[in-house]
Amino acid sequence: MQDAPEAPTPPAALPLDGEGGGGRGRPKKNGVSRLMRLERRTAYLLLLPTFLVLAVIAAYPFGQVVYSSLTDAKFASSQPTSFVGLDNYRTLFAMTIRRLPPKLDESGAPVLVDGKVRYESAVSVLPRSPRRYRQVFQFGLLGHRYVLGAVSADFVRAVWDTVVFTVVAVALETILGMIIALTLSSEFRGRGAMRAAMLVPWAVITVVSARIWEWMLQPTRAGLFNALGSYLGLSEGRTDFFGNPTLQLPSMIMMDVWKTTPFMALLLLAGLATIPAEYAEAAKVDGAGPLRRFFRITLPLLTPTLAVALIFRTLDSLRVFDIFQVVLGNQRYSMASFAQDMLISRRDMGLSSAASVTIFVIIFVFALLYVRSMKVDT
Amino acid sequence: MTGRRVARTRRRRVALRVTGRVLFWLLIAVLLVYLLFPFYWALVSALKTQTELIRTPATLWPENPVLANFRSVLGNDRFVRALGVSTLVASSVTLLSLLVGAVAGYALGKMRFQGRGASLYVILAMTMFPQIAVLAGLYAVIRLLGMPAVPSMILSYMLFTLPFTVWVLTSFFKGLPDSLLQAAQVDGATLLQAFRHVLLPLTAPALVTTGLLAFIQAWNEYLFALTFTVIDPPARTVPVAIALFTGEIARQEPFGEIMAAAVIVTIPLVLLVLIFQQRIVAGLTAGAVKG
Repeated sequence: MQDAPEAPTPPAALPLDGEGGGGRGRPKKNGVSRLMRLERRTAYLLLLPTFLVLAVIAAYPFGQVVYSSLTDAKFASSQPTSFVGLDNYRTLFAMTIRRLPPKLDESGAPVLVDGKVRYESAVSVLPRSPRRYRQVFQFGLLGHRYVLGAVSADFVRAVWDTVVFTVVAVALETILGMIIALTLSSEFRGRGAMRAAMLVPWAVITVVSARIWEWMLQPTRAGLFNALGSYLGLSEGRTDFFGNPTLQLPSMIMMDVWKTTPFMALLLLAGLATIPAEYAEAAKVDGAGPLRRFFRITLPLLTPTLAVALIFRTLDSLRVFDIFQVVLGNQRYSMASFAQDMLISRRDMGLSSAASVTIFVIIFVFALLYVRSMKVDT
Repeated sequence: MTGRRVARTRRRRVALRVTGRVLFWLLIAVLLVYLLFPFYWALVSALKTQTELIRTPATLWPENPVLANFRSVLGNDRFVRALGVSTLVASSVTLLSLLVGAVAGYALGKMRFQGRGASLYVILAMTMFPQIAVLAGLYAVIRLLGMPAVPSMILSYMLFTLPFTVWVLTSFFKGLPDSLLQAAQVDGATLLQAFRHVLLPLTAPALVTTGLLAFIQAWNEYLFALTFTVIDPPARTVPVAIALFTGEIARQEPFGEIMAAAVIVTIPLVLLVLIFQQRIVAGLTAGAVKG
């Protein structure tokens, strides 16, 4: 929108005090302060509905969530709840790392399969009481094999998956969005049509786009990707994109990138429009190539826009829910779909609330990091 | 000798420019396919017969396009009802947000009072507020108030539409010249009269933009809708209906019908977006870049 002039200059006849000025004890004509008081009272009155609504749908519910995260509240039940302190958080965060011993045969030598050492199963080393730990993932370090176990393995995996999802998806969106924005910022015939086409994925409902992609990624050759894969000889046409754990996240990322790149491209395009063309012209005259011009001139000038776009997209992506819930259900969670599933399917309001508070904190930390590192003032 | 070299470099430059052009249009073509193909695929799939739909390998074009999927979706009571509920919810959210947001934007953009800056920041912070963080608490509030699913969705969607609306409208009101307000006041109008008769009509473009964006966001919403309609299935909105879509007879997921439903709910939105694209782009970038 238009550039709003900074703080409108007060009319000469009304020496209004600024914010927090108070203005008590200053000699003032009666009429003036009456007008001011009227203006102030009207302003508060006009803001009242907004704050009332936000109090009912944000402030109070959030307080309630923080409180129930400390109780054993059950969802939609009249059972009395009791205060359990940080138990829910302990359940969420209880983790342990154990070393996996190699499998030994009768003679005590390690079992080798294809020259690789076989390890005992994770269940055998993870604690079972008082609480059962389940495997989150295994990793190798300095020649040993370890397993990360957690009481809420699903939650720990959801946090990990959501962060990976966010980092990869936002990075891809930024690159792709930049390519689209740069293309669209050059003059060519049909630019308007291209910009309109760009808005199509943005206009598709997220749930709908999830189902469209679900259909394109069907595990048979009735699905587009499998049909193409087998046609090009890349696969047998039976790739199960949502059943195979290693393909689940990439499939989710692919869906998300398609849907959200237009937003990124739009913001970057708006940012590009504010950069005077003379800069690039001057550099061109000085003999700078297109890549050099991009990295030395366009990118630095675009940084503020890029920062804001990154913040928006990262925070948005960390609370991803729709596509995970629609496509993966309770097979694999994002942070938000975990919290929702705990609430609705398991009716564990306490645990769900603790997860929600954790998500809030994680998102807050990301926001803070961004604002700090990019020095943008929002 | 030198003449020949000049000619050669010139020819090379021309060749370079031609390849550049070709590559550029190739890039445009690739981007267009990428952006539009999934939607094309949904449309084509919706036009296929059930047998063609499950035939392998998939065909790029329906052999004999039929409207059976569209007919059966539009004959599906649950889907048609969801369309009605979504329209009701999204329009109510839009109107309420505009009403509440416009008065707040007027106060924040044109009046001076203590706590103005703080109010703006509090409202702005709300746009970053994750929906999931209030889900359980909101449900408790709704049970306490004994609200049915539809009004509770309308109320709760304002969590994400209202802050944005207030923010954009504030910057719009700020941009209107002060002299307008003063002239109205000199003529004896109260602050509220000046708002209703002088300033509000001028904000019509901003109202259309923010209204559209609020409508699209509300039309899109899934988390609250899914949760609040668990006990009240008739109140399901379009996203929930499509997520939980099951055919009338077929046990298999009826992807033909799902794609038909997808196309039906997307086309109006795409048209709306294309008609108002200038304004939507302005609104999105005002909301984000300025934030």
